[in-house]
Amino acid sequence: MSANFFNNAWLVLCKEVVDALRDRRTLLRLLAPAVLMGPLLLLAVSTMIASLEERAEKREVMVVGIEHAPTLRNFLERQTFTVKTAPQDYEARLRATTLLEPVVVIAPDFEAALASGERPTVELVSDSVNQRASAGLASLQRLMAGFNRERAAITMALRGVSTALLQPVAFEDRDLASTQARATRITSVIPMFIIMAVLYGALTSALDSTAGERERGSLEPLLMNPVQHMALVLGKWSAVVLLGMTVALMASLSFIPAQWLIKSDALQAMFQFGFSEMLMFLLLQLPLATGLGAVLMALAIQSKTYKEAQAGSALVVTMVGLAPMVTLLNPAGDAPWYLWVPGLAQNTLMILVLKGEPLTFVKVAPGVLVAVALTLGCLVYVARTMRRAAAR
Amino acid sequence: MIRIEAISKQFITPVAAGPFRRSRKQVVQAVQDVTVLAQDGCITGLLGANGAGKTTTLRMLGGLFAPDSGCITVDGIAVDTQPLEALARMGILGDAHGLYPRLTARENIVYFGQLQGMDADTANARALELARLLDMGGILERRAEGFSQGERMKTALARALVHDPANVVLDEPTNGLDVLATRALRDVLRYLRSAQGGAKCIVFSTHIMPEVEQLCEHVVVISRGRSVAEGSVAQLLERAGETRFEDAFVKLAFDVTPTGEDA
Repeated sequence: MSANFFNNAWLVLCKEVVDALRDRRTLLRLLAPAVLMGPLLLLAVSTMIASLEERAEKREVMVVGIEHAPTLRNFLERQTFTVKTAPQDYEARLRATTLLEPVVVIAPDFEAALASGERPTVELVSDSVNQRASAGLASLQRLMAGFNRERAAITMALRGVSTALLQPVAFEDRDLASTQARATRITSVIPMFIIMAVLYGALTSALDSTAGERERGSLEPLLMNPVQHMALVLGKWSAVVLLGMTVALMASLSFIPAQWLIKSDALQAMFQFGFSEMLMFLLLQLPLATGLGAVLMALAIQSKTYKEAQAGSALVVTMVGLAPMVTLLNPAGDAPWYLWVPGLAQNTLMILVLKGEPLTFVKVAPGVLVAVALTLGCLVYVARTMRRAAAR
Repeated sequence: MIRIEAISKQFITPVAAGPFRRSRKQVVQAVQDVTVLAQDGCITGLLGANGAGKTTTLRMLGGLFAPDSGCITVDGIAVDTQPLEALARMGILGDAHGLYPRLTARENIVYFGQLQGMDADTANARALELARLLDMGGILERRAEGFSQGERMKTALARALVHDPANVVLDEPTNGLDVLATRALRDVLRYLRSAQGGAKCIVFSTHIMPEVEQLCEHVVVISRGRSVAEGSVAQLLERAGETRFEDAFVKLAFDVTPTGEDA
């Protein structure tokens, strides 16, 4: 009896997989984005970082009115910066994001005021909407603060006062994050895309083997075979999990060659995504594929047509797919309940993997428990509902 | 042998209400006290108008839902208590007989054969045999995607017969078939009934009079959910006192004297 049960489930699984593989067009539409995602994403991120690095290496300052401030010019040039004259319409160009650097504006009386100790004002102009320009603001501020320090130090030294008085406290930066963890600031979007890949891979086959089967009128004849309904459901669900995991595999795999495309050396050194990380990623997807595969089937079996089922599952897919956004929106850091929410749990765990932190049983168990509960509940529901659904 | 005894079935369907009013529930008595006895080596026709309850009756026979009362046995096996054993003894071509479009006709047939417990080789051999019987050699290795109505019907029939069941149940199999396909189907049914075809018990539902006249030894007339008359075509004619079978059917089914419009 039980051998028979599993044999039947196996038959259904084989048929569903063959059926899905023959649907070339759908398969291609699923796999193409999954495979291209990694390279495109990393390319975009690395290009951005490389351009930031490039600007830092160029050491240029945009200035208006540098002719009024020979002292400042002297300081800047000693810091090996090149002084460039900003265009006349710098304000308009900053707003229109055609000028990508902040601009130093010097008043005509700068030199005289500086000499007489009147604290002349230097404007650092940027536009907070213009992200590239405001990103350069911090280094410009540091540069100007350096000028201030130097001037102060000279003045105090002339009066025989120790410059240490200006800095009663010495401070040093110490960053606790490992190189890998620092890289996750940039790579933390990757898990979200892999979660999407699982969802979309599972979605088509979950809908096709339930609502699609109803729409084609093949569910009723299928149930006219002497097969336990649970065996049918188990076979179909296994196919759904298998396809979801296949798309996830392709998506994870795509990040490995994608690393070669990384333009920034610093990022390449930080981003470590080898086969062991990929394997961890895949294992972490398993609860998602199993649990959500079952949920999608349970939702879809209620729909008479594929289209109806698609509309019904859109909410679930979007919610789970966008669940990782919660981490971005919650500045208080990861909350313990994250690990109980499908999608969010996988995202949190995958980020731990990217950070190079160990996964503990306590962290993985909630997601697995939720998946097991969802799977059992939904599969029993589908097996019970299937007959009623076929008759309608 | 299929024995359907005094089965009844009620459905509760929502009645469409206005967009803001809650829909009311209405009880529909789909089948009431229907009795059919189908012998082996015999074609039993369920004759009834559209919506008479034929499909509901056959779906209960297939175990899709249980009757509210009455019982159904197939070769002595009760459908509601031993559904898997009963289904193994039946080949059912139901109202819905969709194929898997991306599988070939042969794969469609073999899949069901394997689910019926056959091994792949036996199922494949059987598919070839049925393809010969149903004259579907040309389409066996084609995907079901572009099949015509007749080709789809043949494949679905082969799929239902793959495990060589002793009982064959067909729900309006000639719907949408052209003359040639209908004739071919009739020949197949006659063959299955005959001793060399396995002397099968065949139950088939239809609303087409000539089919019943040409095929069925035994006819059960179903009207408004009830079985109202049964017997051979000759017996039914005699009982209604009519010479044309159509007149006899209208009289028996709806209890009205035919006006003999085009007599």
